[in-house]
This record gives sequence, structure tokens and C-alpha cells, in this order.
Amino acid sequence: MISFLTSGFFASMLSFLAIYVALTVILHLQANVAGVVNFGIAGFWGIGMYATSIFLLRFNINFWISIVLGAIVTGLIALPLARILLNLDGQAVLVGTLAFASIVENQIFVNREITGGSRGLGTIPMPIDVGPYRFIVYGLVVVAFVVALILYAWKLKKAPFGRLLFSIRDNELLSRSLGKPTFRHKIIFFAITCGLIGLFGGLTAPLHSFLLPMMVSPTVTFTAWIALMLGGQSKISGAVIGVLATEFVFFYLLRVILPLPAEAAQMVPFFIYAAYGLMLVLVLMFKPTGIMGGKRRGN
Amino acid sequence: MSACNTCKDTEKTGVLHIKKAVKRFGGKTVVNVEDIRIGTHCIEGLIGPNGAGKSTLINLMTQKLSLTEGEIIYYRGDEAINVSSKNLNTLAKLNLVRSNQIIQDFASLTIVDSMILANTDLRHEKFYKLFNDKEVREAAQEKIDFYLDYFHFDFPEGHALSAGEKKLLDIIRCLILNPKFLLLDEPTAGLPQDQSDKVIDLLQKKTAEEDMCVLIVEHNLDLIWRVCDYIHFMADGQILIQGTPDEIKGNETVNKKYIGEESNA
Amino acid sequence: MNPILLQFTFIIGLLEAAPMVLAAVGFTLIYRLNGFVNVAYSENLTIGAYTGVVLNTMLGLGFYVAIIPAVLVSGLFSVATYLLVFRPAMRRGVNKTELIIMSVGLSFLIRYGLTMVFGVLPYPFTHDRTFIRFLNIGITDLQIVCLILAALVSIFYLMFMFRTNYGEKMRALSDNEQLAKTSGINPLRVTIMIWFMAGVAGGFAGVFLGVFSIVVPWLGWYEILFIMMITIIGGIGSVPGAIVAGLATSILRSGVTLMSDSYAGAVTLLVLFIVALKYQAVRKGGIKT
Repeated sequence: MISFLTSGFFASMLSFLAIYVALTVILHLQANVAGVVNFGIAGFWGIGMYATSIFLLRFNINFWISIVLGAIVTGLIALPLARILLNLDGQAVLVGTLAFASIVENQIFVNREITGGSRGLGTIPMPIDVGPYRFIVYGLVVVAFVVALILYAWKLKKAPFGRLLFSIRDNELLSRSLGKPTFRHKIIFFAITCGLIGLFGGLTAPLHSFLLPMMVSPTVTFTAWIALMLGGQSKISGAVIGVLATEFVFFYLLRVILPLPAEAAQMVPFFIYAAYGLMLVLVLMFKPTGIMGGKRRGN
Repeated sequence: MSACNTCKDTEKTGVLHIKKAVKRFGGKTVVNVEDIRIGTHCIEGLIGPNGAGKSTLINLMTQKLSLTEGEIIYYRGDEAINVSSKNLNTLAKLNLVRSNQIIQDFASLTIVDSMILANTDLRHEKFYKLFNDKEVREAAQEKIDFYLDYFHFDFPEGHALSAGEKKLLDIIRCLILNPKFLLLDEPTAGLPQDQSDKVIDLLQKKTAEEDMCVLIVEHNLDLIWRVCDYIHFMADGQILIQGTPDEIKGNETVNKKYIGEESNA
Repeated sequence: MNPILLQFTFIIGLLEAAPMVLAAVGFTLIYRLNGFVNVAYSENLTIGAYTGVVLNTMLGLGFYVAIIPAVLVSGLFSVATYLLVFRPAMRRGVNKTELIIMSVGLSFLIRYGLTMVFGVLPYPFTHDRTFIRFLNIGITDLQIVCLILAALVSIFYLMFMFRTNYGEKMRALSDNEQLAKTSGINPLRVTIMIWFMAGVAGGFAGVFLGVFSIVVPWLGWYEILFIMMITIIGGIGSVPGAIVAGLATSILRSGVTLMSDSYAGAVTLLVLFIVALKYQAVRKGGIKT
């Protein structure tokens, strides 16, 4: 048992689950608390991951500083995008962020000199070198970051700023008539939370150790969305449960527990994504409030 | 500035000076107001038949809509503010506040939360301030207690349920902002009589005691005659006649313009 | 820009525009009618392309013959998505944003379902191309046929919109379904008709995109953003707008790609995209912030 818990496999599973929980919690803050429909999560996550790795590998900056720089870069890129998009309606924001993410993916692919393009970018070492236990130690560090994020989200929803965000989501014009500069708040909050997505992108870099443009695919975005929709849009617990229900059940149980022949195993990822799509349709159709219930986001 | 018979000091309340304000939608002129001052009395009324442009004028004053031509100056004490240089939320912070004709509410906020939101200063609303909710609640407590005591809500700890409660909450939120100039768009529509009387009593008390003046847009003329010190009559986008309730009541033009409307009612 | 390059850009752009115009017209029809961005529309293209390529390579049908069943299958698929997914969802009161998220889910389901069936390896069409030299540019018969078909389909759809009472019915339906019903319009029949036509247009686009390069599961997905952009620039919901915007943006895209690296291309597209979104918001009457 101990050897399983300290194994690279367990550590990697734990870390990735934690990262997806983080992305889903941030998505919950953006989409359900602030009412910004972000379909470009993969883009911000990718910027954070690549920027961190570039600072680390090309400029020899310490990993932890690189992560912070990566998050700042992500936030700074999100800021003008938010300025342009966030006073448009929900559909436009959705389409705009989706387009942004696809352009990020494309740029990572094209700018070979900086990102390595399709040859990849590596190798990113485990930042905490404690011998054989380095994977699990890093995994626990990632979990600690995620716990901090959850605490922040939980506290924020009860703080005056959370109340303000809810008011903007519910009725922006009414909130403005109470003197709230809603547009500015939305922009700043979007940039900050995108910076956080970038931070978790940076934390993902050592887990992948070798970065490829295809990692920054929209699948990341949809995984978070599906987890949030399935778990329950209006609750932080929904985000956590949702990730466990999708990622854990599909990826780990399906791969580890079910003994599949090699040929069928190749099909597993495709099956999973198709099942994600199906789940998204079914959840929105039959139980839009998700597993954890609660309120549904307004129109 | 002309003297006000009931207000203590117009220098301290807000006054709106509308100069040649024009609003067109497409080619249609909806509002065309020459030169008037609003807010020189405690409670003023804005009346006129449907489609006269009353709500549009209010929207122009608070920058929910922008002017096609002309300007509206908001005198706040000795400050002169061109409303076109501001927007809805900055004007609210300058104590030029409006209520809504159509029922508006925050679906996820309780009555108390809604009041706290209105009362909270911008400096408390920062993404990094996580531990100041107690402080913000305490700051609003006195007002919350007052309004929950003064008005009746079925579930004071929960959400505003009926249309009337939402309307009432809308007015309360406006009052919490300490307006110097308060625009009320059909404040008593949908309110039960006792609550509506309480709103009016409170407005009269506040305008008499505090630095606040009110402009009421209403179809309920009995209410207008009863509470307004001064009335602006609007038709076809223009302010046609101004005067005291008695002057307006007896005016032929007013009666003529209202005939169609009265027979409908 | 020298005249030869300009000519080059124009012709290549025009040829590239043909399938995009078709796709944009179909996308626009659905947006006009039901008022939401249907991301799963991309799968109409993919399904059209796969049907075509299967009939072409496995059953040995000629390419031009295979087009017909391909677009019909695509049209039926479009109707099926409406009847099985979007119609029940709208009846359950799923809001616009949720409908889009749903359409993304549906797109995932179809795309990866197709991947499981066909695998990731590309399927090429078999067709002996005839090359024609036109103003020093090599053009294939496929490109010419595609251009002509695109023109014909566009004209047909425009006629449909403006010369028959179907266009009127559709406008009535998108404005107020209840009112349309009372004035004797059968909403279901009109809606199915529109979704079918949209699917057919998407199928055409998919088959040609497939024959111009290769058929892969993400064929439609790759183009959906560009299709959305065309639709937005054309003024969401306007069929003539989609046609004009489709031509203009495709020519512009080919110009930018010819002249510079893809970096500038991507940035130009993003800028265009945002300008279009902004313009759209201004037209709707934005609020001062």
C-alpha cells in the first residue's frame, strides 16, 4: 500500500485530479459567480504552462518564480481580452474566448523558436528533488495549492466582493444603478482568475515534463465544463465531485481496473471524450443543476 | 436658484438643469426639453400621458441613455456636473439615484444581502478582501433594522417574494444610497395601500429632514396632487406646463391631453 | 501589392471561399431561426465528408455522384440533432448559453464517435483531377464545380428566403412562435425544413473540404470558428450577409496567408473577429460603460 501511495502513478493521478479540480473551481467562480462564460480555459492554462516552462528553460529562472511570472503573463493577456469581450452578451463571450483559445494553440504550434512547436519543449524537471519521493511530494504541493484555492473561493463567495459578483451576474444594470462599477470589476476579476488558471498551468508543466502543442487542446476546457455541469454549477463541492465523477471514474477506473486488449485500449480516450459529450448533453437536458443541486445560472 | 418653500437649502440637495435636451430614436424625437430645472422643491412630480417621454427623460438624467443633443447639468452642492461625462454608476455614487419602473431584483440575494450591497462602500469590494463581511454587515445593521421594522416583508430573512416586495426593496436600496436627488419611476405601482402610504410618509420625512429632493413619475394623479410641491407636465416629449398642483389641476391643456387616457382607465 | 499577386489572392480566395460560404449560409439559417450558436453544426460538415468518402472509396461511387447521398445524410443528421437534442432541450427551458454548451457536447460526441469508427487516419477521396490553367493559376475541375455549386446553392437559398413564403414563415417563427402558430404556420414543419437545408449546405461544404484535402474526424471542428466569424461579420442571421462576408473574409484570409506567415494571419483573424463582435454589439445598442 505504501509503495502504491508513493508510486509515480499514484502521484501523477493525484496531481492531475487536483489540477482539474482547480480549473473547475476557477470556472465555477468565473461562470457561476461572475457570470462570465469562459470557453477559453485551455488557452489560459496553456499560456501559463508554456510561459512557466519558457522562463524556466530559456531564462534559467527558478521554477517557483517562473510559475508566478507565468501567472502574471496569463493575467496580463487576459486583461485586454476581457476589456474587449466582457461588455458583450454571453454568446459573444463564449465564442470569443473559444476563438482565443484556438489561436493560442495555433500560436504555440507555429512559433517554434520559442515554444518548440511540434518538436516539443522540455525537459521540465520535478522542482522539489527529494529522491524517489519527489513525485508524491510535488503532488502534495499541488494539492496544497488547490486546497488554498478552494478556501479562497469559499471565502470569496461569502465576502462583500462575492456579493457584488452575484449582483452583477443576476442583474448587471441594477447593480450599476447602485453605484457599482460592474464592468471594471468583471474585467479585473476575469484577469485575476485567468492568472490563476495560468498558475495551475505552470504547476502542470513538471507533470507533463515535455510539452506539446496538442496538450493545449480544447479538451481541457471541456473537461472542466463537463465536470462543473455534472457536479453542479452553483457549488464549489459540485466542481470537486464533478471532477472525481468524470476524470477519476473514466480515466483511472476504466484504464486500471478494466483489463482491455491493447487494440481496445487505444480507443479508450476517444470513448471517454465521446462519453463526455454525451454526458454534457444529458446533464443539461435532464438535470441542469448537476449532482450537488442548487441554483441554476440565469439567462 | 429659485427659492423652495419647503426645502431648507437647495445648495445642499441636488438640482438638475436640463438645457435643450433632445433624444431621438432613429428619426423619431422622443424627448425635446427646452430649459428647465428640476429639484428646487422637496418632492416634485413628472406627469403626462403614456408615451410622453417621461421614462426616457429619467433614463437620460441618469445616463441609462445618452443624449442626442443638448446637456443636463447636475448641481450637487456647489459642484456642477455634466451628466454626459458620467455614467449610471458614477452618478449613483454622486448621489443621483433612480428606482426602476419595471420590477428589478437580484435573484440570488436575500433582502438583507441586497441592503448590505447597497450600503457597502466600493473600497470594501475587492477580490483580495475576504475577511471584512462582518464589518460591512455591522455598518449596514442600523439601516437594515430600521427598514425591516418600518416596512413589512413576509420573510425578512429570505428573498423578496411578491412583485410588491421587490418594488419596495428597490426603493429601499435607493434610499440606502443617501440620494441628494432621487428619481422614482412609478414608486407605488403594485404596492398595497398601507405600504405605499408608508413610502410616501418616509419620503416626506426624509426630504424635510435631510438634504434630499425627489422627482416622482406617476400615473396615480391623486398621489401626485397629494404629495408633490411642484409638478412638471410632459406631453409629446416636451415639458409643456409647470406649476403647483392647484395650477396644474385647473389647467386646460393638461385636462385635454389627459382626456384620452382617463377614458381608457 | 503587385497586380499578379492581387489576382492570385483573389482567385485562390474565391475558390477557398466556396465551401465556406456554403457552410456559413447553413449556420446562419439555424442562428436566424433558433437564435443560438450551434457548434455541433461543424459535425454536419464532417458527416457529409465521411459519407462521401465512404461511398466514393468503399463502394466505388464517382465523386460527383457521391455528393448527393452525402448531403442528404448530412441534412438528415441536422434534422436528427434538432429533433433529438435541441428541440427537447428548448422545450425544457434550457437557456441560450446552455444550448451552446450542449451543442459543444454534441459535437464532442459525434466527433469522437466518428473517431472510434473510422480511426484517426485520414481518408482521401479518389478522383482523377483535371487541371485547367486559368490566368497562370492551376485550377482543378473540383474547384470549379465547387464554385458553381456554391453559387447555385446560395442563389437557391436566397430565392427560398426572399421569393417564397417560407422565408416569411421563418422570419415570423423566429420573431414570435406563438403568433406564427396562430397565423397558420406549422412551426415544426418549417423548422425541420430549415434544419434540413442547413444540414445540406453543411454537407456540401464538408464534401468539398474533404476532397480538397483529406477527411479526418476534426474536419468540421477546424472550420467552425471561421464559419462563426463569417456569420458574425455578415451580421448574425442574415443569409446575404453570410454570402458576402464568406467571400470577403476568405479572400482576405488567402491574401494574408500568401503574403506573410501564419502569425499575422491568426492575429488578423482575431482582430476581425473582435471588430465583428463589437460591431454587432453596437448595432444591438450597447450600454455605456
